[in-house]
Amino acid sequence: MRTPDSALLLVGSPKPGASSSASLGAYLQERLAARRVATDTIVLAKALRTEEATAALLAAVGAADLVVLSFPLYVDSLPAPVTRALELIADSWAPGAAPAPAAGAGAQVPHAPERPGLLAICQCGFPEAEHDLVALEICAHFARAAGFEWAGGLAMGGGGLIDGRPLGARGGLLRSVTRALDLSAAELAEGRPVPAEAVGLMSKPAFPAFAYRFVANRGWRAELKKRGAATPLDARPFA
Amino acid sequence: MSSTARSTALLLDGRRDDEPTLALVHGAVVEALAADGWDVDDWHLRDETIAWCVGCFGCWVKTPGVCVQPDAGRRVAERMACSDLLVYLTPVTFGGYSAELKKALDHLIPVLLPDLKKTGDDTRHPLRYERARDLLVVGTVPAGEKDGAEAHTFRRLVARNALNVRPRRWAAGVVEDGAAEPEVRVAVGGLLSRIGVGPAHPSLSVSMEVPA
Repeated sequence: MRTPDSALLLVGSPKPGASSSASLGAYLQERLAARRVATDTIVLAKALRTEEATAALLAAVGAADLVVLSFPLYVDSLPAPVTRALELIADSWAPGAAPAPAAGAGAQVPHAPERPGLLAICQCGFPEAEHDLVALEICAHFARAAGFEWAGGLAMGGGGLIDGRPLGARGGLLRSVTRALDLSAAELAEGRPVPAEAVGLMSKPAFPAFAYRFVANRGWRAELKKRGAATPLDARPFA
Repeated sequence: MSSTARSTALLLDGRRDDEPTLALVHGAVVEALAADGWDVDDWHLRDETIAWCVGCFGCWVKTPGVCVQPDAGRRVAERMACSDLLVYLTPVTFGGYSAELKKALDHLIPVLLPDLKKTGDDTRHPLRYERARDLLVVGTVPAGEKDGAEAHTFRRLVARNALNVRPRRWAAGVVEDGAAEPEVRVAVGGLLSRIGVGPAHPSLSVSMEVPA
Protein backbone atom coordinates (compact mmCIF):
# COMPACT_ATOMS: atom_id res chain seq x y z
CA MET A 1 0.00 0.00 0.00
CA ARG A 2 1.36 3.40 -0.92
CA THR A 3 1.91 6.05 1.74
CA PRO A 4 -1.09 8.27 1.18
CA ASP A 5 -0.97 11.91 0.17
CA SER A 6 -4.72 11.80 -0.28
CA ALA A 7 -7.64 9.96 1.26
CA LEU A 8 -11.12 9.76 -0.22
CA LEU A 9 -14.05 9.02 2.07
CA LEU A 10 -16.95 7.24 0.40
CA VAL A 11 -20.05 7.58 2.55
CA GLY A 12 -22.27 4.56 1.96
CA SER A 13 -25.32 5.58 3.91
CA PRO A 14 -28.26 6.15 1.56
CA LYS A 15 -29.75 8.66 4.05
CA PRO A 16 -30.12 12.12 2.56
CA GLY A 17 -28.92 13.95 5.67
CA ALA A 18 -26.51 13.27 8.49
CA SER A 19 -25.52 9.67 9.00
CA SER A 20 -23.48 7.59 11.42
CA SER A 21 -21.38 6.35 8.49
CA ALA A 22 -20.47 9.94 7.66
CA SER A 23 -19.69 10.65 11.33
CA LEU A 24 -17.27 7.73 11.57
CA GLY A 25 -15.62 8.58 8.28
CA ALA A 26 -15.34 12.27 9.08
CA TYR A 27 -13.61 11.55 12.37
CA LEU A 28 -11.03 9.38 10.62
CA GLN A 29 -10.56 11.96 7.88
CA GLU A 30 -9.88 14.64 10.49
CA ARG A 31 -7.18 12.47 12.03
CA LEU A 32 -5.64 11.79 8.63
CA ALA A 33 -5.74 15.51 7.77
CA ALA A 34 -3.86 16.20 10.99
CA ARG A 35 -1.15 13.94 9.55
CA ARG A 36 -1.03 16.00 6.35
CA VAL A 37 -3.12 13.71 4.24
CA ALA A 38 -5.39 15.66 1.88
CA THR A 39 -8.97 14.51 2.35
CA ASP A 40 -12.13 14.57 0.29
CA THR A 41 -15.61 13.07 0.72
CA ILE A 42 -18.20 11.68 -1.69
CA VAL A 43 -21.66 10.46 -0.73
CA LEU A 44 -22.28 7.42 -2.92
CA ALA A 45 -26.06 7.72 -3.19
CA LYS A 46 -25.61 11.26 -4.56
CA ALA A 47 -22.80 10.21 -6.88
CA LEU A 48 -25.05 7.65 -8.52
CA ARG A 49 -27.78 10.14 -9.41
CA THR A 50 -26.23 11.51 -12.61
CA GLU A 51 -23.68 10.32 -15.15
CA GLU A 52 -21.53 13.36 -14.43
CA ALA A 53 -21.48 12.69 -10.71
CA THR A 54 -20.69 9.02 -11.32
CA ALA A 55 -17.82 9.94 -13.65
CA ALA A 56 -16.51 12.30 -10.97
CA LEU A 57 -16.72 9.47 -8.43
CA LEU A 58 -14.71 7.11 -10.64
CA ALA A 59 -12.11 9.79 -11.33
CA ALA A 60 -11.78 10.61 -7.63
CA VAL A 61 -11.38 6.95 -6.71
CA GLY A 62 -8.75 6.61 -9.43
CA ALA A 63 -6.80 9.56 -8.06
CA ALA A 64 -6.89 8.68 -4.35
CA ASP A 65 -4.04 6.99 -2.49
CA LEU A 66 -6.39 5.70 0.18
CA VAL A 67 -10.12 5.05 -0.09
CA VAL A 68 -12.19 4.82 3.10
CA LEU A 69 -15.59 3.20 2.62
CA SER A 70 -17.93 3.79 5.55
CA PHE A 71 -21.39 2.24 5.41
CA PRO A 72 -24.26 0.87 7.50
CA LEU A 73 -25.12 -2.81 7.46
CA TYR A 74 -28.26 -3.46 5.41
CA VAL A 75 -29.74 -6.96 5.63
CA ASP A 76 -26.41 -8.59 6.47
CA SER A 77 -24.43 -6.89 3.73
CA LEU A 78 -23.80 -3.61 1.94
CA PRO A 79 -26.63 -1.25 1.02
CA ALA A 80 -27.67 -1.50 -2.64
CA PRO A 81 -26.15 1.82 -3.73
CA VAL A 82 -22.80 0.84 -2.20
CA THR A 83 -22.87 -2.44 -4.10
CA ARG A 84 -23.76 -0.53 -7.27
CA ALA A 85 -20.84 1.84 -6.75
CA LEU A 86 -18.44 -1.05 -6.20
CA GLU A 87 -19.69 -2.75 -9.37
CA LEU A 88 -19.04 0.43 -11.35
CA ILE A 89 -15.60 0.97 -9.84
CA ALA A 90 -14.56 -2.62 -10.53
CA ASP A 91 -15.92 -2.42 -14.08
CA SER A 92 -14.10 0.78 -14.89
CA TRP A 93 -10.96 0.52 -12.89
CA ALA A 94 -9.18 -2.72 -12.18
CA PRO A 95 -5.44 -2.14 -12.67
CA GLY A 96 -3.74 -5.47 -13.03
CA ALA A 97 -6.21 -7.17 -10.76
CA ALA A 98 -7.89 -10.53 -11.01
CA PRO A 99 -11.14 -9.93 -12.89
CA ALA A 100 -14.09 -9.12 -10.71
CA PRO A 101 -16.90 -11.68 -10.91
CA ALA A 102 -19.31 -9.24 -12.48
CA ALA A 103 -16.71 -7.14 -14.31
CA GLY A 104 -17.35 -6.01 -17.82
CA ALA A 105 -15.53 -3.81 -20.26
CA GLY A 106 -15.57 -0.20 -19.13
CA ALA A 107 -13.68 3.01 -19.68
CA GLN A 108 -10.30 2.91 -17.99
CA VAL A 109 -9.84 5.71 -15.50
CA PRO A 110 -6.25 6.96 -15.25
CA HIS A 111 -4.54 5.84 -12.07
CA ALA A 112 -1.16 5.83 -10.42
CA PRO A 113 0.91 2.67 -10.80
CA GLU A 114 1.15 1.83 -7.08
CA ARG A 115 -1.84 0.19 -5.53
CA PRO A 116 -4.06 2.43 -3.40
CA GLY A 117 -5.40 1.21 -0.10
CA LEU A 118 -8.98 0.41 0.83
CA LEU A 119 -10.29 0.57 4.38
CA ALA A 120 -13.90 -0.44 5.09
CA ILE A 121 -15.85 0.65 8.15
CA CYS A 122 -19.18 -1.06 8.78
CA GLN A 123 -21.58 -0.26 11.60
CA CYS A 124 -24.87 -1.91 12.42
CA GLY A 125 -27.83 -1.24 14.67
CA PHE A 126 -27.38 -4.51 16.54
CA PRO A 127 -25.27 -4.52 19.69
CA GLU A 128 -22.92 -7.16 18.28
CA ALA A 129 -20.28 -6.11 15.77
CA GLU A 130 -20.07 -9.70 14.47
CA HIS A 131 -23.05 -8.98 12.21
CA ASP A 132 -20.73 -6.83 10.06
CA LEU A 133 -18.14 -9.47 9.30
CA VAL A 134 -19.63 -10.90 6.10
CA ALA A 135 -20.07 -7.38 4.72
CA LEU A 136 -16.42 -6.62 5.44
CA GLU A 137 -15.45 -9.89 3.76
CA ILE A 138 -17.32 -8.70 0.68
CA CYS A 139 -15.34 -5.45 0.78
CA ALA A 140 -12.08 -7.41 0.95
CA HIS A 141 -13.10 -9.39 -2.13
CA PHE A 142 -13.91 -6.14 -3.90
CA ALA A 143 -10.49 -4.77 -2.98
CA ARG A 144 -8.77 -7.72 -4.58
CA ALA A 145 -10.99 -7.66 -7.66
CA ALA A 146 -10.55 -3.94 -8.25
CA GLY A 147 -6.81 -3.80 -7.54
CA PHE A 148 -6.77 -2.17 -4.12
CA GLU A 149 -4.50 -3.13 -1.27
CA TRP A 150 -6.77 -4.27 1.56
CA ALA A 151 -6.05 -1.98 4.49
CA GLY A 152 -8.50 -3.77 6.76
CA GLY A 153 -12.05 -3.71 8.01
CA LEU A 154 -13.47 -2.11 11.15
CA ALA A 155 -16.72 -3.55 12.50
CA MET A 156 -18.88 -1.65 14.95
CA GLY A 157 -22.06 -2.73 16.72
CA GLY A 158 -24.46 -0.34 18.41
CA GLY A 159 -24.37 2.17 15.58
CA GLY A 160 -27.50 3.75 17.00
CA LEU A 161 -25.33 5.34 19.65
CA ILE A 162 -23.85 7.67 17.05
CA ASP A 163 -27.21 8.68 15.58
CA GLY A 164 -25.62 10.77 12.87
CA ARG A 165 -23.84 13.10 15.25
CA PRO A 166 -20.12 13.93 15.35
CA LEU A 167 -18.29 11.34 17.44
CA GLY A 168 -16.89 14.04 19.70
CA ALA A 169 -20.43 15.05 20.66
CA ARG A 170 -21.05 11.66 22.25
CA GLY A 171 -18.64 12.16 25.11
CA GLY A 172 -16.99 9.07 26.54
CA LEU A 173 -19.65 6.73 25.20
CA LEU A 174 -17.66 6.09 22.05
CA ARG A 175 -14.21 6.16 23.62
CA SER A 176 -13.23 2.77 22.19
CA VAL A 177 -14.40 3.78 18.73
CA THR A 178 -12.47 7.04 18.66
CA ARG A 179 -9.39 5.30 20.02
CA ALA A 180 -9.71 2.66 17.27
CA LEU A 181 -9.92 5.38 14.63
CA ASP A 182 -6.97 7.28 16.15
CA LEU A 183 -4.82 4.16 15.98
CA SER A 184 -6.02 3.40 12.46
CA ALA A 185 -5.23 6.91 11.21
CA ALA A 186 -1.69 6.69 12.59
CA GLU A 187 -0.99 3.47 10.70
CA LEU A 188 -2.84 4.35 7.51
CA ALA A 189 -0.95 7.64 7.23
CA GLU A 190 2.25 5.60 7.11
CA GLY A 191 0.91 3.29 4.41
CA ARG A 192 0.21 0.41 6.77
CA PRO A 193 -3.08 -1.48 7.38
CA VAL A 194 -5.19 -0.93 10.47
CA PRO A 195 -3.72 -2.68 13.51
CA ALA A 196 -5.40 -5.58 15.30
CA GLU A 197 -5.79 -3.43 18.40
CA ALA A 198 -7.95 -1.00 16.45
CA VAL A 199 -10.10 -3.83 15.10
CA GLY A 200 -10.67 -5.07 18.65
CA LEU A 201 -11.46 -1.66 20.07
CA MET A 202 -13.88 -0.83 17.28
CA SER A 203 -15.96 -3.92 17.94
CA LYS A 204 -15.95 -3.53 21.72
CA PRO A 205 -19.52 -2.95 22.98
CA ALA A 206 -20.11 0.37 24.74
CA PHE A 207 -22.39 -1.41 27.18
CA PRO A 208 -24.04 -4.83 27.59
CA ALA A 209 -26.23 -6.13 24.77
CA PHE A 210 -29.28 -6.60 27.00
CA ALA A 211 -29.14 -2.95 28.04
CA TYR A 212 -28.75 -1.81 24.44
CA ARG A 213 -31.78 -3.88 23.41
CA PHE A 214 -33.86 -2.50 26.27
CA VAL A 215 -33.08 1.11 25.44
CA ALA A 216 -33.55 0.58 21.69
CA ASN A 217 -36.92 -1.15 22.11
CA ARG A 218 -38.21 1.67 24.30
CA GLY A 219 -36.90 4.12 21.74
CA TRP A 220 -38.94 2.62 18.89
CA ARG A 221 -42.16 2.95 20.88
CA ALA A 222 -41.36 6.50 21.89
CA GLU A 223 -40.66 7.38 18.26
CA LEU A 224 -43.96 5.83 17.13
CA LYS A 225 -45.81 7.91 19.71
CA LYS A 226 -43.94 11.06 18.77
CA ARG A 227 -44.82 10.66 15.10
CA GLY A 228 -48.46 9.98 15.94
CA ALA A 229 -48.68 6.86 13.82
CA ALA A 230 -52.24 5.55 13.62
CA THR A 231 -51.21 1.89 13.55
CA PRO A 232 -49.41 -0.15 16.17
CA LEU A 233 -45.72 -1.01 15.86
CA ASP A 234 -46.54 -4.66 15.13
CA ALA A 235 -49.24 -3.99 12.51
CA ARG A 236 -49.55 -6.62 9.76
CA PRO A 237 -50.97 -4.74 6.78
CA PHE A 238 -50.35 -7.62 4.36
CA ALA A 239 -51.64 -10.45 6.52
CA MET B 1 -46.97 -31.17 -5.70
CA SER B 2 -44.82 -31.65 -2.68
CA SER B 3 -46.00 -28.52 -0.89
CA THR B 4 -49.39 -27.02 -0.08
CA ALA B 5 -51.59 -26.73 -3.20
CA ARG B 6 -50.99 -23.58 -5.28
CA SER B 7 -48.31 -22.19 -3.09
CA THR B 8 -46.63 -19.00 -4.26
CA ALA B 9 -42.96 -18.55 -4.96
CA LEU B 10 -41.50 -15.06 -5.10
CA LEU B 11 -38.61 -15.13 -7.55
CA LEU B 12 -36.26 -12.14 -7.39
CA ASP B 13 -33.97 -12.20 -10.42
CA GLY B 14 -30.94 -9.99 -9.85
CA ARG B 15 -29.28 -10.27 -13.25
CA ARG B 16 -27.31 -7.16 -14.17
CA ASP B 17 -27.43 -7.87 -17.90
CA ASP B 18 -27.99 -10.89 -20.12
CA GLU B 19 -25.80 -13.28 -18.10
CA PRO B 20 -26.62 -16.45 -20.04
CA THR B 21 -25.83 -18.94 -17.27
CA LEU B 22 -28.09 -17.16 -14.82
CA ALA B 23 -30.74 -17.05 -17.54
CA LEU B 24 -30.49 -20.84 -17.71
CA VAL B 25 -30.82 -21.05 -13.95
CA HIS B 26 -33.86 -18.80 -14.09
CA GLY B 27 -35.47 -20.94 -16.77
CA ALA B 28 -34.78 -24.15 -14.87
CA VAL B 29 -36.19 -22.75 -11.62
CA VAL B 30 -39.35 -21.43 -13.24
CA GLU B 31 -39.91 -24.66 -15.14
CA ALA B 32 -39.35 -26.88 -12.10
CA LEU B 33 -41.63 -24.82 -9.90
CA ALA B 34 -44.38 -24.72 -12.52
CA ALA B 35 -44.13 -28.48 -13.00
CA ASP B 36 -44.53 -28.86 -9.26
CA GLY B 37 -47.68 -26.77 -9.24
CA TRP B 38 -46.36 -23.49 -7.89
CA ASP B 39 -47.50 -20.03 -8.85
CA VAL B 40 -44.33 -18.13 -9.65
CA ASP B 41 -44.27 -14.40 -9.03
CA ASP B 42 -41.31 -13.64 -11.30
CA TRP B 43 -39.52 -10.29 -10.84
CA HIS B 44 -36.88 -9.15 -13.31
CA LEU B 45 -35.47 -6.56 -11.00
CA ARG B 46 -33.39 -4.64 -13.53
CA ASP B 47 -36.70 -3.64 -15.17
CA GLU B 48 -38.20 -2.41 -11.91
CA THR B 49 -37.93 1.04 -10.43
CA ILE B 50 -37.20 0.52 -6.77
CA ALA B 51 -35.82 3.42 -4.80
CA TRP B 52 -32.86 2.78 -2.53
CA CYS B 53 -33.98 2.09 1.01
CA VAL B 54 -32.78 5.25 2.77
CA GLY B 55 -32.96 3.81 6.28
CA CYS B 56 -35.56 6.34 7.42
CA PHE B 57 -37.37 3.64 9.43
CA GLY B 58 -40.69 5.14 8.37
CA CYS B 59 -41.83 1.56 7.73
CA TRP B 60 -41.36 0.93 11.46
CA VAL B 61 -42.52 4.13 13.16
CA LYS B 62 -44.56 6.14 10.66
CA THR B 63 -46.54 3.59 8.63
CA PRO B 64 -45.65 0.32 10.41
CA GLY B 65 -45.18 -2.49 7.91
CA VAL B 66 -45.33 -0.31 4.78
CA CYS B 67 -42.44 1.49 3.09
CA VAL B 68 -43.11 5.22 2.82
CA GLN B 69 -41.91 5.21 -0.80
CA PRO B 70 -44.82 4.25 -3.09
CA ASP B 71 -42.93 2.24 -5.68
CA ALA B 72 -42.28 -1.40 -6.52
CA GLY B 73 -40.22 -1.79 -3.34
CA ARG B 74 -43.44 -1.64 -1.37
CA ARG B 75 -44.89 -4.48 -3.47
CA VAL B 76 -41.74 -6.56 -3.01
CA ALA B 77 -42.23 -6.38 0.75
CA GLU B 78 -45.88 -7.34 0.36
CA ARG B 79 -44.94 -10.36 -1.77
CA MET B 80 -42.26 -11.35 0.72
CA ALA B 81 -44.87 -11.35 3.45
CA CYS B 82 -47.32 -13.49 1.47
CA SER B 83 -45.03 -16.01 -0.28
CA ASP B 84 -44.32 -19.60 0.67
CA LEU B 85 -40.96 -19.72 -1.07
CA LEU B 86 -38.40 -16.98 -1.65
CA VAL B 87 -36.00 -17.51 -4.55
CA TYR B 88 -33.04 -15.16 -5.10
CA LEU B 89 -30.95 -15.36 -8.27
CA THR B 90 -27.78 -13.31 -8.61
CA PRO B 91 -24.35 -13.13 -10.10
CA VAL B 92 -22.10 -13.56 -7.08
CA THR B 93 -20.70 -10.06 -6.72
CA PHE B 94 -17.57 -9.89 -4.56
CA GLY B 95 -19.12 -12.70 -2.55
CA GLY B 96 -22.43 -10.92 -2.17
CA TYR B 97 -25.53 -10.12 -4.17
CA SER B 98 -25.78 -7.89 -7.23
CA ALA B 99 -27.02 -4.35 -6.68
CA GLU B 100 -30.13 -5.26 -8.69
CA LEU B 101 -31.05 -7.97 -6.20
CA LYS B 102 -29.96 -5.95 -3.20
CA LYS B 103 -32.18 -2.97 -4.09
CA ALA B 104 -35.15 -5.32 -3.52
CA LEU B 105 -33.77 -7.19 -0.51
CA ASP B 106 -33.12 -3.91 1.31
CA HIS B 107 -36.91 -3.62 1.39
CA LEU B 108 -37.08 -6.60 3.72
CA ILE B 109 -37.08 -4.13 6.62
CA PRO B 110 -40.88 -3.57 6.77
CA VAL B 111 -41.36 -7.35 6.91
CA LEU B 112 -39.47 -7.32 10.20
CA LEU B 113 -40.40 -5.72 13.50
CA PRO B 114 -38.16 -3.01 14.92
CA ASP B 115 -37.68 -4.77 18.26
CA LEU B 116 -34.29 -6.18 19.08
CA LYS B 117 -34.51 -9.70 20.44
CA LYS B 118 -31.81 -12.11 21.48
CA THR B 119 -31.96 -15.00 19.02
CA GLY B 120 -29.37 -17.71 19.50
CA ASP B 121 -26.00 -16.07 20.04
CA ASP B 122 -26.88 -12.65 18.80
CA THR B 123 -29.59 -10.07 18.36
CA ARG B 124 -32.15 -10.14 15.57
CA HIS B 125 -35.43 -8.51 14.60
CA PRO B 126 -38.57 -10.66 15.01
CA LEU B 127 -40.61 -11.37 11.89
CA ARG B 128 -43.68 -9.21 11.36
CA TYR B 129 -45.44 -12.15 9.69
CA GLU B 130 -45.06 -15.65 11.06
CA ARG B 131 -45.40 -17.85 7.99
CA ALA B 132 -43.88 -21.19 7.09
CA ARG B 133 -41.70 -20.38 4.09
CA ASP B 134 -38.60 -21.75 2.42
CA LEU B 135 -35.61 -20.01 0.89
CA LEU B 136 -33.55 -20.86 -2.18
CA VAL B 137 -30.59 -18.76 -3.33
CA VAL B 138 -28.60 -19.49 -6.48
CA GLY B 139 -25.59 -17.52 -7.65
CA THR B 140 -23.26 -17.73 -10.60
CA VAL B 141 -19.48 -17.55 -10.30
CA PRO B 142 -16.72 -17.54 -12.91
CA ALA B 143 -15.65 -20.94 -14.25
CA GLY B 144 -13.45 -22.77 -11.76
CA GLU B 145 -14.60 -20.66 -8.80
CA LYS B 146 -17.42 -22.74 -7.31
CA ASP B 147 -15.27 -23.58 -4.30
CA GLY B 148 -13.45 -20.25 -4.22
CA ALA B 149 -13.35 -17.60 -1.53
CA GLU B 150 -16.19 -15.56 -2.96
CA ALA B 151 -18.46 -18.59 -3.21
CA HIS B 152 -17.64 -19.29 0.44
CA THR B 153 -18.57 -15.75 1.46
CA PHE B 154 -21.76 -16.04 -0.58
CA ARG B 155 -22.84 -19.12 1.36
CA ARG B 156 -22.06 -17.37 4.64
CA LEU B 157 -24.18 -14.43 3.54
CA VAL B 158 -27.15 -16.65 2.68
CA ALA B 159 -26.79 -18.39 6.04
CA ARG B 160 -26.97 -14.98 7.74
CA ASN B 161 -30.02 -14.05 5.66
CA ALA B 162 -31.68 -17.30 6.68
CA LEU B 163 -31.40 -16.17 10.29
CA ASN B 164 -33.46 -13.12 9.30
CA VAL B 165 -36.11 -14.86 7.22
CA ARG B 166 -36.15 -17.96 9.45
CA PRO B 167 -37.30 -20.37 6.74
CA ARG B 168 -38.38 -23.94 7.46
CA ARG B 169 -35.80 -25.10 4.94
CA TRP B 170 -33.24 -23.30 2.86
CA ALA B 171 -30.58 -24.11 0.32
CA ALA B 172 -27.92 -22.09 -1.43
CA GLY B 173 -25.68 -23.03 -4.30
CA VAL B 174 -23.48 -21.62 -7.00
CA VAL B 175 -23.27 -22.55 -10.65
CA GLU B 176 -20.22 -21.78 -12.74
CA ASP B 177 -20.52 -19.49 -15.75
CA GLY B 178 -20.59 -21.47 -18.94
CA ALA B 179 -22.28 -24.51 -17.42
CA ALA B 180 -24.34 -26.39 -19.98
CA GLU B 181 -28.10 -26.46 -19.71
CA PRO B 182 -28.37 -30.10 -18.57
CA GLU B 183 -25.86 -29.42 -15.81
CA VAL B 184 -27.78 -26.34 -14.72
CA ARG B 185 -31.03 -28.29 -14.65
CA VAL B 186 -29.51 -30.99 -12.47
CA ALA B 187 -28.03 -28.36 -10.15
CA VAL B 188 -31.28 -26.46 -9.79
CA GLY B 189 -33.25 -29.68 -9.35
CA GLY B 190 -30.88 -30.74 -6.61
CA LEU B 191 -31.22 -27.49 -4.75
CA LEU B 192 -35.00 -27.49 -5.07
CA SER B 193 -35.19 -31.05 -3.81
CA ARG B 194 -33.37 -29.93 -0.66
CA ILE B 195 -36.30 -27.67 0.14
CA GLY B 196 -38.92 -30.23 -0.78
CA VAL B 197 -39.68 -29.21 -4.36
CA GLY B 198 -39.71 -31.85 -7.08
CA PRO B 199 -37.95 -35.23 -7.11
CA ALA B 200 -34.78 -35.90 -5.15
CA HIS B 201 -31.47 -35.65 -7.03
CA PRO B 202 -28.87 -37.77 -5.29
CA SER B 203 -25.94 -36.74 -7.51
CA LEU B 204 -25.13 -33.07 -7.84
CA SER B 205 -22.48 -31.05 -9.60
CA VAL B 206 -23.04 -27.81 -7.73
CA SER B 207 -21.52 -26.52 -4.59
CA MET B 208 -24.32 -26.11 -2.10
CA GLU B 209 -25.10 -25.35 1.48
CA VAL B 210 -28.03 -26.58 3.48
CA PRO B 211 -28.80 -25.94 7.14
CA ALA B 212 -27.60 -28.46 9.68
